[in-house]
Amino acid sequence: MTAASLPQFPWLTLLVMLPLAGALLCLLHGNRTVESRWLALATSLAVFGVSLYLFFCHGDGGSGWLRYEDVSWIERYGIRYVLAMDGIALLMVLLTAFLQLAAILLAWRVEEKASYFFALLLLLESGLMGIFLAYDLILFYLFWEIALIPMFFLIAVWGGENRRRAALKFFLYTLAGSLCMLVAMITLYQIHGDQSGTYSFVIGDLLQTKLSSTQEVWLFAGFMAAFIVKSPLVPFHTWLTDALTEAPAAGSLDLTGLLIKTGIYGMIRLAFPLFPNASRDFLPILAVLALFGLFHAAWCAYNEDDIKRLLAYSSISHLGLVVLGLAAWQLTAWEGSILLMVTHGLTTGALFVLVALIRERTGTRSLQELGGLWGQAPYLSAMFLLFSLASLGLPGLANFAGEILVLLGVFQVHPVWAVIAFAGVVFAAAYMLRLVQGTIWGPAKVKRTLPDLTAREWLILLPMAILVVWLGLYPAPFIAPLHGTVAPLLLGGMP
Amino acid sequence: MSVNDLLALTPILILVLGGTALLMVCAWYRAPRPLLAGGVTVALMAALAAGLVPPPATEISGLFSATSYARFFTILWSLLAAAGIMISARYVIDWRLGAGEYVSLVLYAAAGMALLSSATHLLGLFLALETFTLAFYILIACNRRCEFAAEAGLKYLLTGAVATGFMAFGIALIYASSGSLHLPEALTSLTTATGALQAWGFLGWGMFLVAIGFKISLAPFHLWTADVYQGAPAPVSGLLATGSKGAVVAALVGVIAVAGPVWHDLQDLLWFMAVITMLAGAFGAFTQQNLKRLLAYSSVVHMGTLLVGLICQSAEGNVATVFYLVAYVITSFGAFAVIASLADERGEPMHFDQWRGLGYRHPIRCAVLSLFLLSLAGLPATAGFMAKLVIFQAALHSGFTGLVLVGIFASLISFAFYLRVILVLYQSQNETSSWHPGSAMEHAVLTVCASAVLLLGLFPGILLDLISLILT
Repeated sequence: MTAASLPQFPWLTLLVMLPLAGALLCLLHGNRTVESRWLALATSLAVFGVSLYLFFCHGDGGSGWLRYEDVSWIERYGIRYVLAMDGIALLMVLLTAFLQLAAILLAWRVEEKASYFFALLLLLESGLMGIFLAYDLILFYLFWEIALIPMFFLIAVWGGENRRRAALKFFLYTLAGSLCMLVAMITLYQIHGDQSGTYSFVIGDLLQTKLSSTQEVWLFAGFMAAFIVKSPLVPFHTWLTDALTEAPAAGSLDLTGLLIKTGIYGMIRLAFPLFPNASRDFLPILAVLALFGLFHAAWCAYNEDDIKRLLAYSSISHLGLVVLGLAAWQLTAWEGSILLMVTHGLTTGALFVLVALIRERTGTRSLQELGGLWGQAPYLSAMFLLFSLASLGLPGLANFAGEILVLLGVFQVHPVWAVIAFAGVVFAAAYMLRLVQGTIWGPAKVKRTLPDLTAREWLILLPMAILVVWLGLYPAPFIAPLHGTVAPLLLGGMP
Repeated sequence: MSVNDLLALTPILILVLGGTALLMVCAWYRAPRPLLAGGVTVALMAALAAGLVPPPATEISGLFSATSYARFFTILWSLLAAAGIMISARYVIDWRLGAGEYVSLVLYAAAGMALLSSATHLLGLFLALETFTLAFYILIACNRRCEFAAEAGLKYLLTGAVATGFMAFGIALIYASSGSLHLPEALTSLTTATGALQAWGFLGWGMFLVAIGFKISLAPFHLWTADVYQGAPAPVSGLLATGSKGAVVAALVGVIAVAGPVWHDLQDLLWFMAVITMLAGAFGAFTQQNLKRLLAYSSVVHMGTLLVGLICQSAEGNVATVFYLVAYVITSFGAFAVIASLADERGEPMHFDQWRGLGYRHPIRCAVLSLFLLSLAGLPATAGFMAKLVIFQAALHSGFTGLVLVGIFASLISFAFYLRVILVLYQSQNETSSWHPGSAMEHAVLTVCASAVLLLGLFPGILLDLISLILT
């Protein structure tokens, strides 16, 4: 934390504030759709530029951080404005900036109250950046809740038929978990302050708190309540399928690509390091939940008719694998999990984009009514096939790298878990192939002429496709920032 | 009463004499605008006087204090009165209420609230409480064309009379057992009293708390709240929800600060009351279809949460309570101000059907209303979150984990019913009719409230430091 004293350009603050400023400008543009559209694009391009700069020019914030910004905020309660970036945060920031760009392009044709739509997307980006960068509990909680509001409105106003119910369910479910976390946060702050005499919400300070095992278990449970609901692990996943199904296209992309990742990120950043002993005891339960989720969601996906819901279940199933990797508590598995978070964001994100495009063209998302798209829109179908194959983990495409790292890592520690998980991956092939078969192959059930991909849609999908291939063939540049970060986290968590 | 006492009373005197002067003037000169402007000026002058004139004495006639704590609340209630008159202006003009009477009643109420917040004597407390209650009896029922106004006024009158009875009898019992009405002696002597005397004393304090419970609508004495808020004009409901309750809480903070160990004996009772108040308010609000009634139940939840801060009986608990109170006053008043600014000749938008889709008709004011509702719910970056944070922190520090968990649960339900309103606001419904565009003064009040909500949410440090300074 020595670097805090050095005057350096506040890049991380820029990442958080730039989208916020863009959102406010969009709001000021009231009814002018075109201006707000370009404004949103410019803002998200700028954010993407900043995150690329950070990716290529690693700073050194001291104490293992790439960058670290620390400003006094509410001194009376030891709350500080601390933003910190390590390798994991860097990847998540990059993913956020990239997917947000895609989301804004995807929302390009939104006509109804467009400036509000873009303002909410940007506000969401600001909140997500904050979640990935905050290193003070209250600051983290602030962004954690702030990110809910734009998503709530995106679903409630622009969503499908049951949007209001889905929005409320999304908000209350995640809020219930968050409030448990808030109580745990304050209690931890109190215990630490009573012990050391300095009251602080900064995570770096709280790491040294000595807790009795009962305290640790309860506090850990409080934090995990928030993260498990957000991830979501299986008994608590019903909000996600509803929210994903009802959300507008850009909202679904953000939800599946980014928002549910914040739960897993929270485990890595907060729950595990703060409560190492409790988390070690909890790992087997986490693994069981993850495996159960992997199979349950895959089974649901296999039996689902609505392709958007099918993808929602596939998301849950994939995240089960990510969590399993974390539960193995092993370097390779963790790196795989984090990589899988990123690649899953890309592949499933792209699939949600494609589902939105198909829905736009055919007016349906039901497997019963789809089929034979290959003959009607070949480029679109090719893209669909590419991302579906990537999603089921075909070697050479993005998810494969992450999945194989997870499975290898898990196998070294718990071979049985790995074997069970393998079966789950096969299951993924089953429902994905069913999806592909029912959508693009087979006879066309309805004769229609469909427009193929437009220039804007190419612009969204082509970079994603390139990245998916790149990450599948040569993921090393994206794993590199993780090397220095994951090992100390594992050590810090496992005495 | 010496000159020093009078000097120390300057802000209150400005309110009372200013109100009386306006009342006199309106006997001959009934143009509403100058009278309203006069009322705002008087209230602002009182706030200025409270802030600028240093009191020469710290206690006035042994009834009221003139400490910086009292001054702080005098300023707050004076500003509230000014804002209240500003958002009532259109009501007074359009509905042809007597401007002079209306303004002077608001000023009297503010004087009563300011006195109550600074009471150091049970008689002073009683007198101040009756002062603003009387003013509110009239203000609630002042719109004779509204069918609910008379009912609301009557309900407030009846519950108020019961509360007065309880309080007077309670004070008599306290006097009988302790021999003093001055605080803290009336409280501390309870610890030295023995046998029947002590029992009578506790019974007295119990009755006192029942009366307080009626005034700040703690469950199970909260049933009048929704009906009264619904029937009263929105600005009056706003004052009633914030000022009249806030002044009582402010007085309680003062009482508890000096209460000592006796408070512990009442703690169990208050613990129970806080729990059922938070839950009754939250579940009561859940089924409401009328925004004013919903805000009434919301105020019940908030009173329960404030009680959590009071129960702590610690320095940080008191700081948290006062901060929560200020945050609640600004936010809740702002929410009623939005309703007032939309009111037109058809009345106020109240039922959810009238609010449906209004977010697109009046985007700025509905966004501000959403901000206030989210702050009442406790969303981070708003004043409401910081208030909840500091109060729960204080409670956890004092070991009231159970209370905090109930409070958190009530927050969760609160989010549900506030979000329901927001969903209604942004439901697409094209045939919604527009309401009044709002006057410049109303927009000014809303701007101030909204900025304060955000500022207190993001930078609460200044106010927290100020509060801890005035409490020592």
